[in-house]
Formats: sequence, C-alpha cells, structure tokens
Amino acid sequence: MSPIPLSVIGGFLGAGKTTLLNHLLATAGKRYGVLVNDFGAINVDTALIAARDGDTIALTNGCVCCAMGDDLGAGLERLAGRDPAPEHVIVEASGVSDPWRIAQLALIEPGFSLEPLVVMVDAAAFLGQLTDRWTGDTVARQLGFAELVVLNKADLAGDLAPVRAAVHRLRPEARVIVAAQGVVDPEVLHFVPPPRPTPSRFVADAPAHGFMTQVWRPAGSLDRARLRAALEALPRSVLRLKGFCRLAPDGTSHLLQYAAERWAFTPQAGEPGFVLIGTPEMPDATATAALFGPTEAA
Amino acid sequence: MPQTVRVFTARRILTMNTSIPVATHVAVREGRVLGVGGTELLHEFGPVERDDRYAGKVLMPGFVEGHGHAVDGLVWRNPYVGFYPRRDPAGVWVEGLKSIEAVIARLQAVERGLADPAAAVVAWGFDPIFFGGRRMTAADLDRVSATRMVMVGHVSGHIQNVNTTVLERCGFSRDSNLDGLVRNGDGDLTGELQGPAVMGRASRVVGDAGILRAIDAPALWDYARIASRVGVTTSTDLANGLNPENVAALQEATLSEGFPLRLVPAMRQRDYGLEEGIARITELKRMSNPKLHFGLVKITVDGSIQGFTARLRWPGYHNGAPNGLWYVAPEELGAIVEAYHRAGHHIHLHTNGDEASELATEMVGRAIAAHPRPDHRHTLQHCQMADAAIFRRMASFGMCVNLFANHIWYWGEQHRALTMGPSRAQRLDACASALAAAVPMAIHSDVPVTPLDPLFTAWCAVNRLTPEGRVLGAAERISVTQALHAITMGAAYTLKMDHLIGSIDIGKHADFAVLEQDPYDVPAGALKDIGVAGTVVGGVPTAG
Ligand SMILES: [Zn+2]
Repeated sequence: MSPIPLSVIGGFLGAGKTTLLNHLLATAGKRYGVLVNDFGAINVDTALIAARDGDTIALTNGCVCCAMGDDLGAGLERLAGRDPAPEHVIVEASGVSDPWRIAQLALIEPGFSLEPLVVMVDAAAFLGQLTDRWTGDTVARQLGFAELVVLNKADLAGDLAPVRAAVHRLRPEARVIVAAQGVVDPEVLHFVPPPRPTPSRFVADAPAHGFMTQVWRPAGSLDRARLRAALEALPRSVLRLKGFCRLAPDGTSHLLQYAAERWAFTPQAGEPGFVLIGTPEMPDATATAALFGPTEAA
Repeated sequence: MPQTVRVFTARRILTMNTSIPVATHVAVREGRVLGVGGTELLHEFGPVERDDRYAGKVLMPGFVEGHGHAVDGLVWRNPYVGFYPRRDPAGVWVEGLKSIEAVIARLQAVERGLADPAAAVVAWGFDPIFFGGRRMTAADLDRVSATRMVMVGHVSGHIQNVNTTVLERCGFSRDSNLDGLVRNGDGDLTGELQGPAVMGRASRVVGDAGILRAIDAPALWDYARIASRVGVTTSTDLANGLNPENVAALQEATLSEGFPLRLVPAMRQRDYGLEEGIARITELKRMSNPKLHFGLVKITVDGSIQGFTARLRWPGYHNGAPNGLWYVAPEELGAIVEAYHRAGHHIHLHTNGDEASELATEMVGRAIAAHPRPDHRHTLQHCQMADAAIFRRMASFGMCVNLFANHIWYWGEQHRALTMGPSRAQRLDACASALAAAVPMAIHSDVPVTPLDPLFTAWCAVNRLTPEGRVLGAAERISVTQALHAITMGAAYTLKMDHLIGSIDIGKHADFAVLEQDPYDVPAGALKDIGVAGTVVGGVPTAG
C-alpha cells in the first residue's frame, strides 16, 4: 500500500485555513480526510452531509472531517484505518501552533507521506500581526519552515509588495501564491506528481509552483552512513527529499522522508527512487549526484 | 426531631474565623458547625454527645487544595520512581530513588512480578535533576527487559524515557532525525523523548496513556484517601473534560457513603465550542451535590516554565531559549474570557509565564470594563512570574491568584540557573507581593506534579528554601498566619466557597484537619513536619 499524502496547513488565527478547508471539502475531486482544530467552524452544505457522528462528519463525496483532539497521531491512525481510506489527508494546525512541529509527525507516522507545508497568511493583517507585542514571534515562527505561503485576502490588502518582502525575509525558500477568500487550486497541496522511473540518476523536472525537482533512481543498496552524510550536507535550498531505497547490508526497502534538515527512514516496500524538491537555487543534478556519491546507473 | 449534637473537644482549635479565632470545643449538627467556643458548648445545645477523640490534638478547618488533579488517584496504578519519598493511596511511604541504579532495581522487581509476557512496564514520577547530569538511557531500561516495552515518565510531564523495544516498535532509529528524539555524542538515540509528538507516538505504541486514562470512581476514592492523610477536605480537579462519563464517575464517588472529600472540578474550556461550553457549564451547575461543586471553567493560556513553553516578557528565558507557546491566541482568549464572564461564569486561567499573566489580566480587565460584574473572582492559576505591577492590576480588577509555592522547593534552583536567572527567580511565586497588592491569594501543589500536602505548601511559602539550602527571594516570604490563611480561607475564596468551607464557623460544613501539633508552637522551618492525624468531613471523622 502506498503512503497517503499528508498536507499540513498552518497560519495564524483569521488567515483563512477553515475557509480553504470548507472550500476543498465542498468541491473535492478525491476522498479527503481532514483533521481540524475548530470542528464547530466546519461549515459544509447540509445536502453534502452523509452522516454525522460526534466529532466526525462523513460527506456524500467520500470526504471525511474529524476533530483533531489532543493526540494528532491517534487522529491520523483513525483516518488511515477508515474503509475506504482517504486518498489525501489534510491537517489543520491550530492558529497558534507551529505547523512544522505537526509536519514532523508525518515523517514518523507509518503510512503517510508529507506534502508541502502550507502556511496561510492574512495579507491584510500580516504586517500588523508581526509587530504585535503578543503575537509577533508566534506568527514569524509559523513561517519558519513554510514551503508554500498562501497570501490570502489579497483583495483586501492593497499593496502586496511589503507583505511579500516580509515573508521573504522570514523564509526566503518558500514559494508564494496569492489568493482571495481562501480559494486555491487543490494542486498546491502536492509538490509534484509521483516520481516516475527515469533512465539517468538525476533529471531536472518541470517546476511546479516555482519548485525545482530532480528525480534519482539508485540501482543498488545504499550505505546508511554515506546517505546520512549526504543528507546532513544538503543546503537549505533543498526543501525535500522523499522516496524509497534499499539499505545495505540486507537490502530492505525503506521510505525516506527529508524536510528542513529533519528526516526519517521507515521500513516500507516501494519502487526505489527519490525525488528532490527545492528552490531554483538548489544544486544542479551534477552537484547533487556528486553529493550522494557514485551509484550504478540503471 | 433534630439530630444529635456532637461536641468535639481539642487541645486547641485554630478556626480561621475572625470572630472566634481560637477555641477548644466545636459543636456539630447535621454535618454543620453549630457552635465554636469552650466548655459552655457542652450545655448550650441541650443534650450533647461529647467526643474526646481529638482531646490531645489541634483542629483546623479542613485544608483546601485550590489547584490539584484527581488523576493523582490513578497514577498509583503504575510504579512510582521519583526522587522524593511519596505516600501511596494506602498510606504506605514509597521510598525515593536516589540513583538511576535504584530506579532500574525497582523496575526489575516490578518486571519479575508480571505474569503476562506481553505486558509493558510503565512507571511515573522520574526526576533526574539530582543525578549529577547523568541521564537515563535505553540501555539502562533494556536491563529491565529486552523484550517487554519499558517506559518511564518524568515528574514534569514533558519527558519520557523508553527502552530499545519501544524505540524499535515506534520506528525510531538513528536514522530518525526529528525534534524531540535526544541523541548522544555519537548520534545514537538515548531513548529520551521530549515533546508531545514523539511522546504521543510512544504512548500509543505502548498502549498505556498514563494520566490520559479516564478517572473512574475507585480512582477518585484513592485521591480522597490521599487527601485525608494530609488534612485536605476540599480539592479542585483542575481541569476535567466533564463529559457524561466523567460526571458519572464524579457523582458515583461523591454520593457514595462516607466519601471523605469535597471535589470542585473545573470544566476544561478547550474541550468545547464557545456556546456549547457555556451551555454545558450552566447545565453542570444544577448537578452539584454537597461533595461535588461545579461552576469553574479552566482556560490554559501558556505552557510551563521548566518545559520552556511558558510565555515570558522581556528579557525572556535566562538561558536564551526561545519564548514559549500561546495555547490560545491572544485575541481568541479575549473572546473566550468575555463570553464566559458575560454569561456569569467563574474563570480560572492557567498562566505560568509573566507575559501570559499580563495578557490574561488585560483580557479579564477588558471583559469587566465591557460587562461590569462584582464578585466574579476570576483567578490566575500558577501566575509564577508576576511582578508587583501585574498584581496591582489584578487587584484593580478584583482578580484572585493561586500561586504555585511548591515550585520554590522543587524547581527553584532550576529557575535560578536556567529559566529566570538569579534576580528574577527572587520573585518566583511572589506571595508577599500578591498580598501587598491586596490580591486574594491561595497557594497550591498542582498534585500530581508535586505531592498534595498543604502544610508543605505553606512551609514553602513561609521559608522559600531550595534543596541547596538557599532562601530564594527572602523578601517574598510570608508569615505562618498568612500561609495558613492561604491553604484554608484563601483557597476557599478563589473557589467562591468561602461561605461553606475554609473556616470553622457557624453554619459552615464541619470539615476539619486534625493536627498533632499547633503550627504556632513549632518553628516555621518545621511546619511541614507537623503530623496530620486525619480529617473530619461533614462532621464524620475519616481515617488518617
Ligand atoms: Zn495543573
């Protein structure tokens, strides 16, 4: 079974996270499983509700929405155990939490694969929040590991240039998209299409939302220490590395997920192949190949 | 026919009742105090039953724990491995463990007693701060069992230690490079887990959620037994989800014959939407009984100082750690406080750092300005770093405080060295400043974070000693009288129960703490050593 893509959506109170989720649930083209903080704010057309049971709402389109509760891992386990399982899980971080903390859990929770860390910003209120004596550091911290920043309520913000500048100062690596009323293309919840086998070791792929991707397909088993050293040496412009590989000496297949200098290997079967995702400043294919060392070409 | 009048005689009765502060006799009828005084009580109420069992003892009003957690009755189902000796619900002293070796030995003994080969060994209360920097490792716990899962929770609640079996089953390895997985110099995992993400995963894998289990009636009985032994006749449970199952357990226990404790659970606000929560607390108030008082709402504003999750004002954490976390957004806090205040409810706010206390005070002030209401008694719980200015502001709004005096002993040295630094730590749990600003004050244990024992809590506030023998903030020491007030009338006032408990006065519940010595007859440094022979609850003597 391939891991379920998991997206974390963060952002301060009022940034439009719930609006985005309500919109995604109502217009879903796939079975989303959504864990929300403020269950009461979920507001989908009653015609869409198939069943409601305590803190779970099942929709006629196959989506399900649950209250997060105290234990995020337990909530994820509950979602993954549903029949049928969701095709994509979205976790709404609370308005004051650090979404990166939540995203890290997806690196170790078996059966999930972390998609871009999305942080929503209320473009009209952001600069004020950043200078607020009580909220400034919380808002800045939420952007610290963002990969995709949605400048929401752009229609209310007037000049976006200073907002963009502030986001860039806090997290130069993040890609920025602009939205109004929390409406974004659901495709932003994916980094790239699943890696496909390619003939060479690293191949530059077309950018998605301004991210660069490279795909690498190792032929043999990898040495843990060597791989670890390569991961430690990755520059910040490489946001992600994910995919399967066989690890020496016994060649068992592992899922490797790397994000923002944190990573985890979990034993899981899969077609060997990594995708690297980064900013346009990320090292080119030759430099990355040099970093990961010689491998047999497929 | 009126019930019999029973007159308890005592060597001395410290009533905390301003009209009759000292007495030797107390008359009780229908569970309530009928009279306080001397031998005249034996003749004034017609035929009386004289009860001399406390003739050699000193009676005080039953102590009131303004911030405790009834889960203390539950944690004892797992082995205790703390540094300090602690008394279990049966009254047996469990020896404190002074080395990691001793912890391992206790766990090995527990392991040998387990029949089910799949059962996990889960212990609580571990506190390594006096082990000279030596941390527990997975290899240590592997000596308890190489096949069973072994998990040890730290007393602070922010750290766990696990053995290799747990690491493996969680999928944590050298190649899990995540925040919260502690590593040694070689990059290997030590088995120490920090923070909710990795701790939560381990708890789920071990299948023993420890203090997250639901509290049943037997656990409430165990908590009441622990309370009786230290003279406590009323305790909060701060907080409780108060779902139907929780309420059923509370009712079952408090309505059972001879239950020796009045419980005051606070509804955990974040378990409910705003309107839903207000409706629930309104409904709960009608479900109270003489030993179960609903009405408090608890809101958690920040984390803990020693966990570096409390919100601090300038200059932040002494060791340079980043500021802690808001558990609720400042603006949202304002809306929640306003809604509960406006609906007439009684709010207790958990604020550890001074920035959290400042914010909570501001938000309560705004709610009061918008919807004036006398006698609300909104209370800051912990409020450990507040300075005189915050206390003055609280006083201006009519707020109360419940300070965590036990922290001075248990974490004072750490606050001095790491979190607050030597100057700011002088005002850790600044009882004298609070009283100087005329803020109604209680002091607390936060049991099970520290043991329930109000005389110990009073000793902390009076002496402000640390285990290094240092007096931390001499100017914040309070008198024995002030401390005894804080653990009786002070706490009762913060619960809006000062008309029912907290002093021995006519019409109030006949709830007494039975002491072996008069607190005024012993040096202030010996306050914590006064023996407690038990309690009387509603006129009924309970075993000590
Ligand atoms: Zn507490």
